Amino acid sequence: MIDAERLEILTESAKYDVSCSSSGSKRVNTVEGLGNASVSGICHSFTPDGRCISLLKILMSNDCIYDCEYCPNRRSAEVRRATVTPTEICELVIGFYRRNYIEGLFLSSAVFGTPDRTMELLIKTVELLRGEYRFNGYIHLKGIPHADDLLIMKAAKLVDRMSFNVELPSEKSLKLLAPQKTKQSLLLPMKSLQNAITYDKLNKVRRRDAVIPAGQTTQMIIGASPETDGQILKLTEALYRNMGLRRVYYSSYIPVVQSSLLPSVGAGLLREHRLYQADWLIRFYGFDVNEIVDEGENLSREYDPKCAWALRNMHLFPVEVNTAPLTTLLRVPGIGAKSAYRITEARKYGKIDFESLAKMRVVLKRARHFITCKGKFYGAENVAQVKNCLLLEGKNEVTEQLSMFSEKSVALSALTGEV
Amino acid sequence: MKIFICDGAPESFFTAVFEAYKQTDCVITSDGNIQLSLNCETERVQRDSEKCERVRRGLNRYDDGAEEDILKALRSCNAQKEQICFKYIKRIFEYKKRVRTAYNLPEVVDLSNILYQITEETHRFTGFLRFKETADGTYYAPYSPDNDITELLMPHFAERLNMPFIIHDIKRKIAGIYNGQCWITANVGEAEICLSDSEKAFERLWKKYYKAVNIESRPHEKQMKGSMPVRYWKFLPEKND
Repeated sequence: MIDAERLEILTESAKYDVSCSSSGSKRVNTVEGLGNASVSGICHSFTPDGRCISLLKILMSNDCIYDCEYCPNRRSAEVRRATVTPTEICELVIGFYRRNYIEGLFLSSAVFGTPDRTMELLIKTVELLRGEYRFNGYIHLKGIPHADDLLIMKAAKLVDRMSFNVELPSEKSLKLLAPQKTKQSLLLPMKSLQNAITYDKLNKVRRRDAVIPAGQTTQMIIGASPETDGQILKLTEALYRNMGLRRVYYSSYIPVVQSSLLPSVGAGLLREHRLYQADWLIRFYGFDVNEIVDEGENLSREYDPKCAWALRNMHLFPVEVNTAPLTTLLRVPGIGAKSAYRITEARKYGKIDFESLAKMRVVLKRARHFITCKGKFYGAENVAQVKNCLLLEGKNEVTEQLSMFSEKSVALSALTGEV
Repeated sequence: MKIFICDGAPESFFTAVFEAYKQTDCVITSDGNIQLSLNCETERVQRDSEKCERVRRGLNRYDDGAEEDILKALRSCNAQKEQICFKYIKRIFEYKKRVRTAYNLPEVVDLSNILYQITEETHRFTGFLRFKETADGTYYAPYSPDNDITELLMPHFAERLNMPFIIHDIKRKIAGIYNGQCWITANVGEAEICLSDSEKAFERLWKKYYKAVNIESRPHEKQMKGSMPVRYWKFLPEKND
């Protein structure tokens, strides 16, 4: 069995990967098998940094041939190195899963030997788990850039989710900070995975045999390179639309390694938080990136992106909650997806008054400036006052720099990867 | 005002609904949650399967999912659960159709909040429950949830685990027992547990993992405690060093 020291090394090497979600897959258990996947994902614990533990997130090895500037495991770094065997990983996963510590495995690796060899070992581990150990729990496998397409496809048949990290938000930064990875080595396997998913869908392949039922995700580091929020979100939108990704994760840059090419201060968690908020607007609220931020601009620090958009478009407000269509309600600051749904349901039974909005979990502090209720307006008199109210309300969020997310719902879904 | 006191079983509650339905000013409650006020009259409800059945049939006529919702809501730790369910049922009979999404009615919001709490806690324990391997190979998980959710948790774990296990609600002295084929619940007071040889080793590795995966330069304890309330920590090995 794996010893505590190697577990520590390989966990610490893996922990900067943000993705931890175990959602999106409905894998069922087999006869005599162990495990299944829960479509909404399950958090098994939370660490003092506020992140959830859902999967056992571990590297197969941190002994890397690459020398990416930002990476703590790069070849030239002086760190403790460790490698584990497929069997050791399997034993740990099964032991943890039976005790309900984890929902499954998030397996990644530094590139040791060659990309193909690394990928083969990852596949061997997963095959062992699915085969010999009859494990049907969630598996998220990291793709190794430059590995053979056939190997990627073989892996995709066994696991629930795969991810290739784009790492940095532009090709230029990638060249500078991760010269061994190219845009093509990241985007091509993403494209082939997307094609395979589409093929399975069109041919109605049985769920059990379909490739990566929970789709693909990716991650990029924010603040290590000069891209604006506008550029980052443009790339995000393209990844959702052209690659069919389920999630794009943003990881606020933390100066773990010393380098002349890297900034010496972190990007701050507020920026990351704002990006996630904007990401949500694109995916669930019908917003276009162009409406949220211009390509050369950054997101507002003072207001969340929805408030900022509403303030720029005051001519569209107020809207009447008793008649406004769902798409309009979704654009009101303080009305989330759930409360918008509740409003449209409730008004089938009768008119909604201002008091019942609070019971439907509408954040009236924000929403009151943008709605009327039975024709009556409850907000501040003019735009300047509205701005002032929202600014005061958002203050906590800005001053609380360490707070990763202020809204609990956003926080939870960002961490668990609600789909 | 009249107060109907149930014994906690669903049959008793549905009987009380039947009795209380025609009353103008009354409250349904159960042992342990009674709040007596001046000039009130109490009545201990005797289970009556016929009356109970009539209420259930009536409910199912208008909303075939309502009975399931009510049975779930009665698992709540909320002291007003019977009264909230009663008022909700009255609304269904008033509208003669399903009202579950009529969020402009306070009764609907109250019931949906109780249901949310139970669903939420059940979901949380699908993650926060911790099993220990015992010497005979049975896995044992003690816990102490706010609501009576053991029966709601059992199908989830029976579906995914392929070894015998026991989920033990210490506070209510109820245990869900799975033998590898099917599960039952039983009244179990205290359990004597003898752990397997490898149990300590796995627990140590888990604690090591928990420590190592944390990013120390990004502390956010408030968020941790919001997502994983301190009252649940007692049974989490990673929170007990």
